[in-house]
Amino acid sequence: MAIRARRLTKVFETGRRRARRRIEAVRELDLDVAAGERVAYIGPNGAGKSTSIKILTGILHPTAGGATVLGLTPWEDRRLLARRIGTLFGQRSLLWLELTPRQSYRMLAAIYGLDRAAEQRRIAELGDLLEASGLFDQPVRSLSLGQRMRCELTACLLHDPEILFLDEPTIGLDLVAKQRFRELLVRLNEQQGTTIFLTSHDVADIEHVAKRAIVINHGEVIYDDEVAAMRRTLLATKVVEVGLVEAIAAPTQAGVTLLEHSDQVLRLVVDTNLTPIRVVMDELLDGPAVTDISVVDPPLEQVIGEIYELPAR
Amino acid sequence: MTRRALVEALRGSAHRSLVDGGGMVVSIAFYVVIVGTLSGLWRVAVHANGGELAGYSAVAITWYIITSEAAIVSVNARHIEDIGADIAQGTVAVELLRPASVLGVRMATEVGRGLPKVAALWGAGAVVAAVVAGGPPRSATLLLAAPSLVLAIIANLLAQHAVAAIAFWIRDAGSVWFLYLKAVFITGGMIIPLELLPDGVQHAAMLMPFRAMAYAPARLAAGYWEPMLFVEQLVWIGILGVVASAAFSAGERRLQVVGG
Repeated sequence: MAIRARRLTKVFETGRRRARRRIEAVRELDLDVAAGERVAYIGPNGAGKSTSIKILTGILHPTAGGATVLGLTPWEDRRLLARRIGTLFGQRSLLWLELTPRQSYRMLAAIYGLDRAAEQRRIAELGDLLEASGLFDQPVRSLSLGQRMRCELTACLLHDPEILFLDEPTIGLDLVAKQRFRELLVRLNEQQGTTIFLTSHDVADIEHVAKRAIVINHGEVIYDDEVAAMRRTLLATKVVEVGLVEAIAAPTQAGVTLLEHSDQVLRLVVDTNLTPIRVVMDELLDGPAVTDISVVDPPLEQVIGEIYELPAR
Repeated sequence: MTRRALVEALRGSAHRSLVDGGGMVVSIAFYVVIVGTLSGLWRVAVHANGGELAGYSAVAITWYIITSEAAIVSVNARHIEDIGADIAQGTVAVELLRPASVLGVRMATEVGRGLPKVAALWGAGAVVAAVVAGGPPRSATLLLAAPSLVLAIIANLLAQHAVAAIAFWIRDAGSVWFLYLKAVFITGGMIIPLELLPDGVQHAAMLMPFRAMAYAPARLAAGYWEPMLFVEQLVWIGILGVVASAAFSAGERRLQVVGG
């Protein structure tokens, strides 16, 4: 088992004396992740995702309960574990901004105890895998965010980690860069067997990267299933927004719910279990009045809201 | 942590410091203005006192000033504030994810950043001193002043890390850097040789680590053969190293319990 947590609990105490408050960030969390899995670990803001990741990577001590990652107790064997895991937090850079990525890799390789031959071999391998070799000699400051994230991913994979903890890795990326990054994660998992443990607010990250989704809220697991099953039950709805030059009749297929309808805008929710999105799109695009059309996933908060409405598992 | 990791951290940041040509030029220009003005004032005072002040000749005090200023200016004056911000903003928490000592890598990085700078500043200062006052008073002590400058930087950075570690508890070390800098200015002998301070302050300064950060290399560069200053620096580095390590270890433990 790559990750195992039992009754993992973290309580923060804030304020002083009478105003002292206990915040239960993680509450008796049970978790099992097998080696080689691709897991999305999701939840709304304040759900306890980051706190539990910090515990699992050894940055934080739990208040109660236990956990092992690759057989090690993270908060007791932090440095030992650090040699075997990779971490990528979307808003924190692993690279030194004044250096080129290759210069940063040299420093990181020294920290992780890689000899020069291993360092160069690994950089070449990752450059090919992540299609990033051409970026390694440019100053980090001159890279676009998407390019930088590929270099960041190289940095966190340099020491060949067995598990990759990714906290909002696609935040700030444009659509093309996001898609490319997701493909890289899947390729990494399939080619190298790296376990992926991903948190994200972006439903598309979950759909395209993960095979299994664990949803937590208020520090507890509220849903744990295959993403394919989640897609059928919770991610089956899509929101369609249509720009118009004149009013048209709204589609009437089964599973289509009207959210907004005016002369300029039509907004629909489509349950794709009942009607494929293509059927609705075809009908809308057949008319001459459509100027713009977009299909978006429901926000994560809506998905979580729907989880609460599911019958008890 | 391997020695190679520290060497790479030191080498990488030294390289960064060197390639930042614009920053270096600004630092040198600022430094030349300061040492030119300050040493000029001191030479006037020495001449007014009959050619000697507390044992310093005009040449000696000029070499003192260019060295004490180089020792302090080559280290980021607000490093305490930066470390405090890194602790408060969670950057240090992320550094815990590396299999390396947070303090070790940070020290190596900052020493690496300071070394090219101190070499450039001291070189420029030597030219200023040679032009306005004359060559070094004593070559042998000048040779000893060079490694003493490196020790001064190490002592200064260790002390800054030890002080900045309070940010693990109070979350805002921003105001402390100002007090720290004033202590270095006065009791470190940066702008006034310690012999010229009132007796009480002089005695207090003798017991504090700040003199290892400016006075020691400056006194050697001024031509005084006092190798004990060198030993004193090593002792202070040992003490400050233990204090900074203990403070960071305790701070990291606290971070792991209360979060970052």
